[in-house]
Amino acid sequence: MSGKKREFLRGARSGVPLMIGVVPFGLVLGLAVREAGLTTIQSVFFSTALLGGTAQLASVQLYGAQASAIVVIATAIIINLRYSMYSLSLYPVLKERSFPERLFAAYCVSDQSYAVTMAEYERDPESKLLPVFFLGVSLAIFFVWACSILVGYNLGTVIPPELSLDFTIPLVFMSLLIPHLKGWDRQISALVGGFAAVILVPSLPLQSGLLVAILFGIGAGVAAGFFKKAENNRGEE
Amino acid sequence: MYFFILFGTIALLFLLVKGMFLCFIPQSKLPPFFERSFRYIPPAVLSALVAPAILYTRSAGGFDISPVKIAAGAIAFGVAIKTRSILATIASGMMFLWLLTYLVG
Repeated sequence: MSGKKREFLRGARSGVPLMIGVVPFGLVLGLAVREAGLTTIQSVFFSTALLGGTAQLASVQLYGAQASAIVVIATAIIINLRYSMYSLSLYPVLKERSFPERLFAAYCVSDQSYAVTMAEYERDPESKLLPVFFLGVSLAIFFVWACSILVGYNLGTVIPPELSLDFTIPLVFMSLLIPHLKGWDRQISALVGGFAAVILVPSLPLQSGLLVAILFGIGAGVAAGFFKKAENNRGEE
Repeated sequence: MYFFILFGTIALLFLLVKGMFLCFIPQSKLPPFFERSFRYIPPAVLSALVAPAILYTRSAGGFDISPVKIAAGAIAFGVAIKTRSILATIASGMMFLWLLTYLVG
């Protein structure tokens, strides 16, 4: 086996522990896709043409609720802005590769494959084969993710609605939220975002409540971060 | 057709965002304000998705407050903090939802 192949497979294997988080999330997204009324062909397109976790869920729910195109697009993009930060820190890893290869990397990168690749980069920044490792873990995660969505989509037809399986969607997000609650500035951001959503989601027109609530939450976090920084600076004096 | 145009556009915009500094504006630094605000995207987004979905049940008439979901959600939140496990959170939340629905209804 060539070194490249081995490195690709090593990358794919290092994504396996993360599948515990990816599979349930993909399954509930599949349920949401079914609820939004997508056809089979649409759901295949939806799970292969784009990759964006939370942004995929929010956009498909908004689409199902007949939100206007601008609201669907703006919500999806704001939720996924963090990926621009990932692309900044992946630059040293992939700078030697061609433009189409870097574009493909942008297409298949996920939260999980980014995290695993950066951990590997910390361990061995000189590795020439890190781009292959990155490709291995990214494609493995993407493949399992897309399959989970399609399985969830098909499960939606056999499970009776009385079981309220759609309640698993907020439960998954709840557990994903916990690690992001370190520091009171981020807790404020979560509190304001959640509170604003409770008020605004049922009341704002064109399903724009979620988008506006997210912006309120981010704004509150930035403001709290300002005070937190000032507090820390005083502490150091 | 509308679906494919909408989600095709989102797919292209995702490429722009996800490849921003990898493909399109290489070797630049983010303005510090942006970098600071990115920290707050995950907590703001996730709780904005969670809170209404726990609090309300959507019906034909609109949004109804749902005490059973709120109770099950509160228990699951405690489990999520304690265990940090997706599966334990789903399991506890769903079990209490079914149990409470059975007891109340």
